[in-house]
Amino acid sequence: MLSVENLTVCYGQMKALRSVSIEISAGQMVALIGANGSGKTTLLNAISGLVPIEEGRIIWEDQSLNGFPPDKLCRKGIIQVPEGRKLFPSMTVEENLIMGAYHPNVRKKAQESLQKVFSSFPRLADRRRQFAGSLSGGEQQMVAMGRALMAKPRLLMLDEPSLGLSPKAAAEIFEIIRELNKEGITILLVSQEVMQTLAITTYGYVLENGVLVLQGDCKQLQEDPKVKTSYLGM
Amino acid sequence: MDAVLIFQSLISGIMMGMVYALLGVGFSLTWGVMHVIHISHGAFGLLGAYAAYSLLQYFGVDPIASAAMSVPLLFLMACGLYQLLIRPITRAKNIIMASMILTFGLAIILENIMALIWKADPRVLTPAYSSGALIVGPFYFQYPHLVGFGLSLVGITALYLFLKKTYTGMAVRAAWQQPEAARLYGVNLFQISMITFALAVSTAGAGGICLALLNSFEPHSHNLWLIYLFLVVIVGGVGNVIGTALAGLIIGVITGLSMAFLPFQWVNLVTFGLLMVFLIFRPHGIFKQEGL
Repeated sequence: MLSVENLTVCYGQMKALRSVSIEISAGQMVALIGANGSGKTTLLNAISGLVPIEEGRIIWEDQSLNGFPPDKLCRKGIIQVPEGRKLFPSMTVEENLIMGAYHPNVRKKAQESLQKVFSSFPRLADRRRQFAGSLSGGEQQMVAMGRALMAKPRLLMLDEPSLGLSPKAAAEIFEIIRELNKEGITILLVSQEVMQTLAITTYGYVLENGVLVLQGDCKQLQEDPKVKTSYLGM
Repeated sequence: MDAVLIFQSLISGIMMGMVYALLGVGFSLTWGVMHVIHISHGAFGLLGAYAAYSLLQYFGVDPIASAAMSVPLLFLMACGLYQLLIRPITRAKNIIMASMILTFGLAIILENIMALIWKADPRVLTPAYSSGALIVGPFYFQYPHLVGFGLSLVGITALYLFLKKTYTGMAVRAAWQQPEAARLYGVNLFQISMITFALAVSTAGAGGICLALLNSFEPHSHNLWLIYLFLVVIVGGVGNVIGTALAGLIIGVITGLSMAFLPFQWVNLVTFGLLMVFLIFRPHGIFKQEGL
């Protein structure tokens, strides 16, 4: 479905990613783990078209995505839930969700999608008229995911969806992600909650200082001594 | 004090304030959404006023019709201007500074063009009903003031509904609040910036016509208007449409009352003293929650 080939991304002089290659096939749930500043968010932003690509290619169903701006990319169903949620704080919950269905391919079905999101997240229906900025962290994450679902994702990329949430809210979010994958949405999950992430994903990549250092089945990764010492504190 | 006089100046203040509000919302939007401080905003308002003046003088076109015509014309002109001048400077490191310098130059150019065409004499818009007035009990409302007020009210309501109810309007707000997320969900920031800028310029034109119905104007009037624009936006909060509208009303009422009870030379002192007080104590405006 998506393959990233030898991707290099620079911020000025600094190389944020060096020749990274990953492969995601349809229906898969893939984990991307690594410490702060290892380049996880940069990789997602490169796939979303937010940062320019220095070298390498991003291929989506046999088509090169290099140079596509984000507003064109989301029409293909490549949807990112950004780190820190990035909701529109002074817009209501409902308006935030409607903005998810902004691109023309999904706009006609916006009301239908809205009802679906409300039935999956009943708490959002109760708070539909509230400003998104006034919600709790867990509710905000639900709005962020609801907004992404409004865009009818085929590949959903989640950047630290549990960051700053209580353990209970985090567990709830991970459960929702698993449900979404069961419904057929391909998932790329970026998280520092390495244990929880590897428990629900099937394949994983480990980034370190912009370089891919490890990859494999999540069961293998969980047993890997390097992962254990660096990320699981064992 | 005279209750009738207080009430009368309160009403004039509200009328004046509604016009400030219409002029101010566009200024606030370009500032908030695009980080462009559009110094020539008032000059475009003045251009609208002069166009309405000539249309009335030579073709007998009513200012209401002129306002309706100027909005689409200025919109198109502003789209071109955005592509030609504004879009290139959004690549600058410091957009606010670059935009201020660029549009300051633009304001001077516009001012000189207007001085060339219309001369430096003060002008007034005098439609057929200009000497008429609505008299309600002891109160007295001149028709041109009522028309200016009514047009401004329509303009602000239309802008509010556009921002609140349409997809494009919501994209404008989204781009202001969280540009990166807006892009991720399909908003083309350049397109939205162009629409924002064009809307701002066209509402400035309409606002200028409204202001011309209340006050006389000359080619350099936009400088004073600009200071009022800053006042309205700073009191109301940058990018906050409802706040800007309310701030316009508040400032209108304050100037209205001070005009009635203070010697003329004190009015601006009160108004701009207020601006300084706000900058010191509430630099983010009076409203806690950003409305809209």
